[in-house]
Amino acid sequence: MNHLSLRALALSAPLALGIAIASTGSGMAQDTFKVGMAVGGMECCEWMKSQGDVARALAAQRGWDYYELSNKGDAPTALKNAGLFIQEDVDVVIQFNGQPSVNPALAQRFGSAGVPVITYDIAEEGMYFVGIDNLAAGLAGGEALGQIVKEKWNCEPDLVISAEGAGAGIVNTWRTGGMRDGLKRVCPDIPEEKWVSFESVGQATVGLPAARDLLAAHPNAKRMAVVGLNDGGVLAAINAAEQLGRADEIIGWGQDGAFITGPNVNPHLAGSVFYFLEGYAVYAFRDVIDHIASGNPPPVKHDAGDPASRVQPCPVSAEQAQNVPGLQERVAMLLEAPAGTTAYDLFCPNK
Amino acid sequence: MADIDTSSTSSPGRLSLSNFGVWGTILPLASAWLVLIAVTGAVRSDFLAHQTVLAVAFTMAVVGTLAVGQALVAISGSMVDLSQPTSLILSALVAVRLLELEFAVTLAVAIAVLSGAAWGFLNALIIVYGKINPVIVTLATNFIGLAALFLVFQIAESPINSSFRAFGLGSTLGIPNIWWPMVALIAVVGFFLPRTRYGRRAIAVGGSRFAAQARGISLPKTRFAIFTAAGAAAGLAGVLFACSSGPFTPSGGVVYLLPVIAAVILAGVTLSGGRGNLWILLLSVGFLSTVPTSLVFLGLSSDWQAIIQGLILVVAVAIDGYEARRGTR
Repeated sequence: MNHLSLRALALSAPLALGIAIASTGSGMAQDTFKVGMAVGGMECCEWMKSQGDVARALAAQRGWDYYELSNKGDAPTALKNAGLFIQEDVDVVIQFNGQPSVNPALAQRFGSAGVPVITYDIAEEGMYFVGIDNLAAGLAGGEALGQIVKEKWNCEPDLVISAEGAGAGIVNTWRTGGMRDGLKRVCPDIPEEKWVSFESVGQATVGLPAARDLLAAHPNAKRMAVVGLNDGGVLAAINAAEQLGRADEIIGWGQDGAFITGPNVNPHLAGSVFYFLEGYAVYAFRDVIDHIASGNPPPVKHDAGDPASRVQPCPVSAEQAQNVPGLQERVAMLLEAPAGTTAYDLFCPNK
Repeated sequence: MADIDTSSTSSPGRLSLSNFGVWGTILPLASAWLVLIAVTGAVRSDFLAHQTVLAVAFTMAVVGTLAVGQALVAISGSMVDLSQPTSLILSALVAVRLLELEFAVTLAVAIAVLSGAAWGFLNALIIVYGKINPVIVTLATNFIGLAALFLVFQIAESPINSSFRAFGLGSTLGIPNIWWPMVALIAVVGFFLPRTRYGRRAIAVGGSRFAAQARGISLPKTRFAIFTAAGAAAGLAGVLFACSSGPFTPSGGVVYLLPVIAAVILAGVTLSGGRGNLWILLLSVGFLSTVPTSLVFLGLSSDWQAIIQGLILVVAVAIDGYEARRGTR
């Protein structure tokens, strides 16, 4: 054995150990169905961890083996994880991959190994699409914010701020662009020069300096509406306005519902669109994986417009959101609900 | 203004910034800042407004406070503390969690600052007893610390209706409240560093470790003192960060490392140790904090900010290296 292969062995040992530790389930028998889950692992979002928790619980309920790895929001890690899942001979993989540029390579790698893949929210040919219609979610949020802008300012804001998250690629285009389009449906005559953007990275504190500078560069803007990729990005603009003493002049509507529940909701976040991301595994198991496990795989539907399983967006005002449980409580209630019940069924106040 | 310099970096007869002493750093830096303000103000007259002052001052507060700790580490010859992102978030998290438990604000702040100091002490412990390069140690502890923070929390935020938050978002004399502790820290450390026994020892160790040891100065004790003090500065930065920002994640401090190191180098603090003036940090931090705001006023996207800051860092390091090489000829 040469030095190179020794090094490869040394490097692969911790990985193999990691996947072994991550696996749950009582048996390691050859015929036990194996589910692999690549969680997003990005630093912004607690729900990414919860997606794995729900998938693990559903696999355990079925007596299946479950293997979880984290993509760590990193494209090379996602590719490496694909190799590990194939090496472990899993029967199906669920992934949330926040770096969609490598999805074609992932599809090719899993396809060659004959492993079906369910992709959350980011469509890729050859993978089952389970997730939200991001454009519809963006439009819904934009229309909800537009109603407020119409009632409060007669559709005459001084500024409409977009909290972009360019790293999310097409998802950012759908959500943030969708929110702009939704707002335009209600308020079609807002002049072009009123629309401005900043890069929020989808995180309140990371996007804060850029938002602060943007607001400082528009010192005369009194009435400001904020749309964005997610609640965190929208909060970056709201927090910037608070620092500059202009908080009374800003209203935001977010996406993903991450910061609209609980006791510490920012009063300038008027609402958000829940996807109940933590509960996606219910859709994936109910509509795809259970069929694969029983030997009747459904046709691969990779188009977000005609998905393998569609998650309903749930726009809620901040007031309505007070009656929606927090993330951990939702996860617990979801796992206690009858099989196939979705978080939307349980928690959306606007069904 | 007391300039600290234990090295001999000037060469008579040849033009060098170090020939001008502390003014060789102050004049170019102040000129660059004034030109930046003048050019941006000429293009956009509304740049010269109170909103800009607020935006720049908020940026300065956390960066400047971290830069004090970073400057102490550099002056003492330990190059840089790469674990500041962890100590910042650690202390911010401690402050938030204690406030959630309804601790008094002053007590929560004190414990948060102490947690930063404890982090610095831990770094020193590994550096001294492991006999490992401080850069390697702080790089490693930052990785470990961030991973540990991820195990403990995903998102934290100071209570929205608390006096802690109100302080963080408030102003005094038209300047953000969180700017004043930064200025006070620079003033106090800048004044006492060359005038106290531990300060002079740190400078001596940075100038020449062997000469300092020959004079009976304990390198381990100095390192413990410097890293603990630098950790406390990062702890204070964490408190300022927590009271003025919204929800933060374990990695929320990573973005500060580049501007902090750039500010320290631009202020004329040599990474090889023994030379630096903390008062100039106010200028370098102010200049670097104005750059991104100016870029936005000039219509450039936020993507340019990192590029410009990176270029400034490269130029500053090149000047630092050039001056150091001249000094060794």
